[in-house]
Amino acid sequence: MDPECSQLLPALCAVLADPRQPVADDTCLEKLLDWFKTITKAGSSLLLLQENPCLVELLCHVLKPQDLSSRVLSFSLRLAGVFAAQEDCFQYLQQGELLPRLFGEPGPLGGAAWTAPSVRSGWIQGLRSLAQHPSALHFLADCGAVDTIFSLQGDSSLFVASAAGQLLVHILGLSMQGLAEGHPSLQAGDWPVCAQKIVGHIEESLHSTAVPQITQALNVLTTTFGHCHDPWTQVLWVRLSPLVGSLLEKDPVPAAHSLVDLLLSVARSPGLSSSSCGLWETLAQTLNHLSPTQAGPLALGILKLQDCPQVLRAQAFVILLQPLACVLKATGQDPGPSGVLDSATGDSLTVDVLLSSKAACVGLLCRTLAHLELLQPLPQRPCPWPQEPLLGAAVTLLQLCRGSASPASDVGRHLCALLLGCVRVQRAALDFLGTLSQGTGPQELVTEVFAVLLEYLRSPDSSPTVLKKAFQATFRWLLSSPKTPGCCDLEPHALLVLRELLPVLQKRLCSPCWEVRDSGLEFLTQMTRHWGGQAGFRHALLASEVPKLTEQLLRDPESYVRASAVTVMGQLSSQGLHVTPVSPEHPGGQQKSLLVELLHILSTDSEGFPRRAVMQVFTQWLRDHHADVAGDTEQFMARVLQVASQDLDWEVRAQGLELALVFLEQTLGQFHSHCPYAVTPPVAAPAGSLAQALQPLCRVRLFEFAFRALFDCDRPVAQKSCDLLLFLRAKTASSSGSLEESRSGPDVASVEAALQRWQAGDQGQPLGDLEPEVVAALDCSQALNEDSLMG
Amino acid sequence: MPEIRVTPLGAGQDVGRSCILVSIAGKNVMLDCGMHMGFNDDRRFPDFSYITRNGRLTDFLDCVIISHFHLDHCGALPYFSEMVGYDGPIYMTHPTQAICPILLEDYRKIAVDKKGEANFFTSQMIKDCMKKVVAVHLHQTVQVDDELEIKAYYAGHVLGAAMFQIKVGSESVVYTGDYNMTPDRHLGAAWIDKCRPNLLITESTYATTIRDSKRCRERDFLKKVHEAVERGGKVLIPVFALGRAQELCILLETFWERMNLKAPIYFSTGLTEKANHYYKLFITWTNQKIRKTFVQRNMFEFKHIKAFDRAFADNPGPMVVFATPGMLHAGQSLQIFRKWAGNEKNMVIMPGYCVQGTVGHKILSGQRKLEMEGRQVLEVKMQVEYMSFSAHADAKGIMQLVGQAEPESVLLVHGEAKKMEFLKQKIEQEFRVNCYMPANGETVTLPTSPSIPVGISLGLLKREMAQGLLPDVKKPRLLHGTLIMKDSNFRLVSSEQALKELGLAEHQLRFTCRVHLHDPRKEQETAVRVYSHLKSVLKDHCVQHLPDGSVTVESILIQAAAHSEDPGTKVLLVSWTYQDEELGSYLTSLLKKGLPQASS
Repeated sequence: MDPECSQLLPALCAVLADPRQPVADDTCLEKLLDWFKTITKAGSSLLLLQENPCLVELLCHVLKPQDLSSRVLSFSLRLAGVFAAQEDCFQYLQQGELLPRLFGEPGPLGGAAWTAPSVRSGWIQGLRSLAQHPSALHFLADCGAVDTIFSLQGDSSLFVASAAGQLLVHILGLSMQGLAEGHPSLQAGDWPVCAQKIVGHIEESLHSTAVPQITQALNVLTTTFGHCHDPWTQVLWVRLSPLVGSLLEKDPVPAAHSLVDLLLSVARSPGLSSSSCGLWETLAQTLNHLSPTQAGPLALGILKLQDCPQVLRAQAFVILLQPLACVLKATGQDPGPSGVLDSATGDSLTVDVLLSSKAACVGLLCRTLAHLELLQPLPQRPCPWPQEPLLGAAVTLLQLCRGSASPASDVGRHLCALLLGCVRVQRAALDFLGTLSQGTGPQELVTEVFAVLLEYLRSPDSSPTVLKKAFQATFRWLLSSPKTPGCCDLEPHALLVLRELLPVLQKRLCSPCWEVRDSGLEFLTQMTRHWGGQAGFRHALLASEVPKLTEQLLRDPESYVRASAVTVMGQLSSQGLHVTPVSPEHPGGQQKSLLVELLHILSTDSEGFPRRAVMQVFTQWLRDHHADVAGDTEQFMARVLQVASQDLDWEVRAQGLELALVFLEQTLGQFHSHCPYAVTPPVAAPAGSLAQALQPLCRVRLFEFAFRALFDCDRPVAQKSCDLLLFLRAKTASSSGSLEESRSGPDVASVEAALQRWQAGDQGQPLGDLEPEVVAALDCSQALNEDSLMG
Repeated sequence: MPEIRVTPLGAGQDVGRSCILVSIAGKNVMLDCGMHMGFNDDRRFPDFSYITRNGRLTDFLDCVIISHFHLDHCGALPYFSEMVGYDGPIYMTHPTQAICPILLEDYRKIAVDKKGEANFFTSQMIKDCMKKVVAVHLHQTVQVDDELEIKAYYAGHVLGAAMFQIKVGSESVVYTGDYNMTPDRHLGAAWIDKCRPNLLITESTYATTIRDSKRCRERDFLKKVHEAVERGGKVLIPVFALGRAQELCILLETFWERMNLKAPIYFSTGLTEKANHYYKLFITWTNQKIRKTFVQRNMFEFKHIKAFDRAFADNPGPMVVFATPGMLHAGQSLQIFRKWAGNEKNMVIMPGYCVQGTVGHKILSGQRKLEMEGRQVLEVKMQVEYMSFSAHADAKGIMQLVGQAEPESVLLVHGEAKKMEFLKQKIEQEFRVNCYMPANGETVTLPTSPSIPVGISLGLLKREMAQGLLPDVKKPRLLHGTLIMKDSNFRLVSSEQALKELGLAEHQLRFTCRVHLHDPRKEQETAVRVYSHLKSVLKDHCVQHLPDGSVTVESILIQAAAHSEDPGTKVLLVSWTYQDEELGSYLTSLLKKGLPQASS
C-alpha cells in the first residue's frame, strides 16, 4: 500500500466506525473492499494489519453494541474474511479471538443486526473468503458455523440462500481436498468432520418431504459435481444416487427442475458418467416420470451429451419431439417416413398438456421449438434428423397461429382456437423455421415454407417483432435455396419468391411503425449484399419501387430508419442499383446526386446514427473506388473531413479517421509497400516523390484533421489518430532523412507552437496551410514522439 | 392458495438500479430493468441468474415494463434483451420509447469512450432492443395475453414517466416507478384512480421529507445564476437534452423577463429543435398550463434563450449556456468547461447525477485539478454547484397516492431502509394495511383471495322479487339456491333448475326419531291427542291431522304405533327434513315431555 493511502486509512476507519457519519453511497464500500482485495492479493495481509492497527480496531469496534449501519457491519465481516484468507493472518486474528466474535454465536449472529439480509450476506461472504486453508476448516467446525449455513440455505433472501449453498459446496470441496491429497483410496467413513456433516445434511434433506429442503440438497450436489471432478465425487455419487433415485418414486416428482439439473451435471462429469452406478437407467426412468414440460430440458441435455447410450438418446429425442408430433397428428399430417416422429405420436399426456390451457399449450410449444432450435446446429444432433416433419410442424404451427390451417380433428380445432393470434408461438416458430433453413427439404415443402413466410409478411395482423423474424427467416431460406452450379444467382424458384416479395417489402417500407420500416431496410441490405451483383435480383429490384422508396426513407422522421436507409442506399449505389433520376421539374438537369444527399445528412442530421452510417458508406465507397468518389477524390475527402471534424459525435470523428486512413493507404500505397511479405523489397523513395505523395494529403487538410483529433477530448478519437500518425510515420520514416533540414525551418516551428496550443486545449486557431515538407518534418519531431502519441 | 410474490433484484431498500420481479396469478412480470451507474463491472446490472435459474428467460417472463427513461430504471434493458437473451415484449410509454435509446446510446458512449469497455452493448443492440418495445398510451388497457393486462397512469416524474397497473383476473398490482404528486413547471402531478389493487409498490425516495423543498431549490438556483451573472461571470449548465433542461429554461426565461436581465442565455445547437420536436410530439404529457399556452405560443420557444454557436464561448461578458452532455464527459459542454474552468468568476451548475469517471463526477467530488487527455492538467477555479431537481413524491405525496389507490397492501422500494421504516409505520397506522419493505433478493408473499364471478339465474331472481323485496345494495339479503359449475362457469340457480340442468333425480333427506309415550289407548287416539296438543302449542304453524291418522307440522310427520312388547306404550315416529331441523328438534323434545292429561 502506498504511504499516502496508509496515512488516510485511520481517518477512513474512523468515518466507518462513526454511526453519525452514514455512508450515503452504497457503492463506495464495495469499491473499498475491491481495493482491499487487490492489496491483499499483492502482499501479506498480516503485514497490512500490523502496519495499520486501525483496521483491527475497526473490526473490534463494529462488534460493540451501537447504532451502526448494517452495511458497515456487513462490510467489516467481508473485510475480516478477506484478511483471514491468508493462514498467518487468520492465526493473528485468532489470537485476539476476533474471528469467533465476528462469525460465532457471540457475534452479529445472535444480535438484532442479523435480521438485516446484508449482514447475513456479509457473514456468508466473509466465511467464503476465509475458508481457504485447513485452519479455517477447524474454525468452521468448532464455531458451529456449518449449522448456521444449513439454516441459511432456506433464507428469505434469495441472495443469502444461494450464497449459503455455494459456501457449502466450497467447504465440502476444501475439506475433501486435504483428504484426497493424503489418502488416495477413499472411504466415506474416513471423511473429515465438515464433509461428513455436510453429506449427512444432504442425505437428511433428500429423505425429507419438504420440497425446499430437497431442492437445496439437489442444488448443492449439482454445483459440486459441476465444479469438481476429483475421485471423491464418485464415492459421493455412489452413496447418494439411491436416495436421488428414490425421489422418482414420489408422485409428483419433487423439485423436478433441480433434479434434472443434477442428473445432467452428473452425466456431464467424465468420471461420474462412466461409473457403473446406473446413471443411464436413472436418466431413462426420469424421462418417463416427468411431465412433458419438465422432461424437455432433460431430453435436450441428454441429446447434447457427447457420450451417451443410443437407446437413451432415442428415448430423449422422442420426448422432445412429442409436442410437434401431436400437432402434426392433430392436423391430419403424416409425421414422416423417418419414424422418429411417428413413434412420438402416441403420448396422450402431451396432448392433455397441450389442450389443458392456452398458457400450458403455448409454454410447451415454445420450449420445444427453442430446444430443437438449439439442437439443430450441433454436431451431436440425432441422426437421421427428421427435417421434413419438423419443417411441416413449423409451417403448421404458423398456419394455426394465423388461422389459415383447417384441421379436421377435434384436437386440431382445439389447438387452432388456442393458438390463434399467439405472438409467442409465432416468434418461436419463425426462429425455428429460420434455423431449419440449414437443412434441405423437398421442393413442395420449401414452396410451402415461402408461402407461409409471405403470408406473415403480407398480413396486416403481424406484429413488428413477428415481421422482423419473418424477414430474417425469409432471408435465411433464400440464402439456402439450391444454387445452380457455377452461378451464385438466386435459383428460378427463389426468383419467383423474390418477385412476390418485393411488393410486400415495398408496402412494409411505408409502414407507420418505424420498427417495420427498419426491419424491411435491414432485410434489403442483406439481400443486396448477397445478390446485388446478380442479374435476376437486379432486374427484379430495379423493376420495383423499392429503390425509390428507400431513397425517400433518407428523410424518415426516425433516425434509426434514416441510418438504415443510408446504409442501403450506399450499397445500392455501389452495386449500380441506384440511378440518379432525371428531375421532371428540370428536364435538362439531374436531381441531387446521392453523394450530395449523404453529405447533407452528414452535416445537418440532428442524430448520430445517420451521420455514422454516412461515414461508413463513404469509407466503403472510397475503398471500392466508387464512381462518385473516384471522380474527384480530393474534393470529396476535403469536404467529408471538414464536416466530420466539426461533428459533436465522437464516433463520427473516429470514422472520419478511418476514412482518412483508407485515403492514406491509397495515396501512399504505390509509394511504399507496408506489407512485410511483399515480393518487391521496399526501396526508399527520393524526397521529391515523398513530398509529392504527401501533397494530396495536405490538400484535403487530412493532417489538420488528424492533429486536431490527436487532442480530442474523446479517447477513441485520439487513439485512432495516434494509429493513423504512427502508420504515416512508419511509411515515411525511411525517406524523410532528406527532409531533416526543414525541421528547423520557420514553418515547422509555427506549426509546432500551434499544436502545443491545441494540446493545451485552445483549438480555436487553425494550423494554416501545411506543406508536405513541414508534415514530414513534424512527423519526426518531438511533438509527435511515440510516447506523447501513446499518452 | 393463490398469492402475489414480489422480489426486488434492485431498489429493495436502496436507490440503485430498479428491477422488481412480480408473480401474480401465475404470470411473471419484471418491473424496470435499471443499471447502477456507480459500478464499472457486472455489478452495474441486476443479477439475472436468479431468473434464468427457472429455465429460459423468455418462457419464464411474460413481459417487462419500464416506468421511465432514467438509466437506473432502463439502463440494463439492452443487456437483458440482447445479451442475456430475453426475447419477449417490453412495455413503456411513447415518450419513454422515444427518449430511452438516446440516453442508452449516450451511456454506451461513455462506457466505451471514457472507460474503454469492450464487452458492452452496441448501438445495434440498443436498436434491436427498442424494436421489442410496445409503446402504450395513458389509461389504455393493454392486453399482454389473454389473462394479463396492463394500464399506464401519469406519474409526473419526467416526460413520459408512468405508473403501471398489472392485472390478472381480479388480482392486481400497481407499480408507481418514480412519481411526483405536485405539478412542476413543465409536468403535471401524478394521478391514479381508485383501483383498489391487492398491492401498491411505491417508490419512497423522499419517505421522510414532509415538505417539498423544490421551490427553495429553484430560488437557490436562480439566486446563484443571478449572482454569477451580476459579477460578470459565465454560467455553464451541462444538461441532458430533454427533461430537466426544459424545466430550467422555463425557470430562467421567466426570471429574466421579470428581472429584465440582459445577459444572453444560450442552448446547445441542434438540441432546441430536438427538444421542441419531442415536446410538440408529447405535449399531452406536459402540465395543463403548458398545454393551454401551447395553443397561442410554444412555451419551449423562448424569447431570451438563443441557439449557441461555438464562437460565442469566447465572447466577453456574462452569459448562461445550457450545453450537452450533462456529465461533462465529452462534446460541447466539455469544450466550454475547458475554456471557462480557469476563471473564478465563472460557475458550473450540475443539475443531475454524474457517472464515475466523467469530469462531472470528478468536479462534484471536489477535485480541483483535472488530468485531461494528452496529460495536460486543467485547474478548476470556477465555482462548482450541484443542484438536484429530481421530482419525487414526498411523504405527504406518497400517503396521498396510497389514499387515492386504496390498496390492500403496500410495498416500499427505491428508498433507504431507515426512511422506509418510518413511512411503513405511518402507512400501517393511517391506512390499517400491511406495508412491506423487502431488501434486494427477499421475497414478499401475499396471499390473495380470488374473487370468482358467479352468474345467477333469472328464475331465481324473479322468485326473490316475487317475495316483494326489491334488491338494495345497502341491505344484503340471504338468497338460497344451488351453485352449479358448468362449462367452467359458476351459476346460482334454483334447486329444481339445478336438478333439471344436471339431469339428476331429487333425493330427500329426512331425520327420524322415536319417542316413547306411556298411553294405553289405541294408536288413532294417541294421534288425536298429539294433534290436539301440538295445535294448542304451535299456534303459528300449520298442524294437520291426515286421514291416514298421521299428524304433520310443516314438513314434520308424526305417526303413532303400538309398542311390540309393551301394549301400554305407544311409539311416536317423528321424521322431518333438514329445512325444518330446528322445529323437528323442538317437537321431539316437546313430545318427550309427554302429552297433557286429557281433560275429557
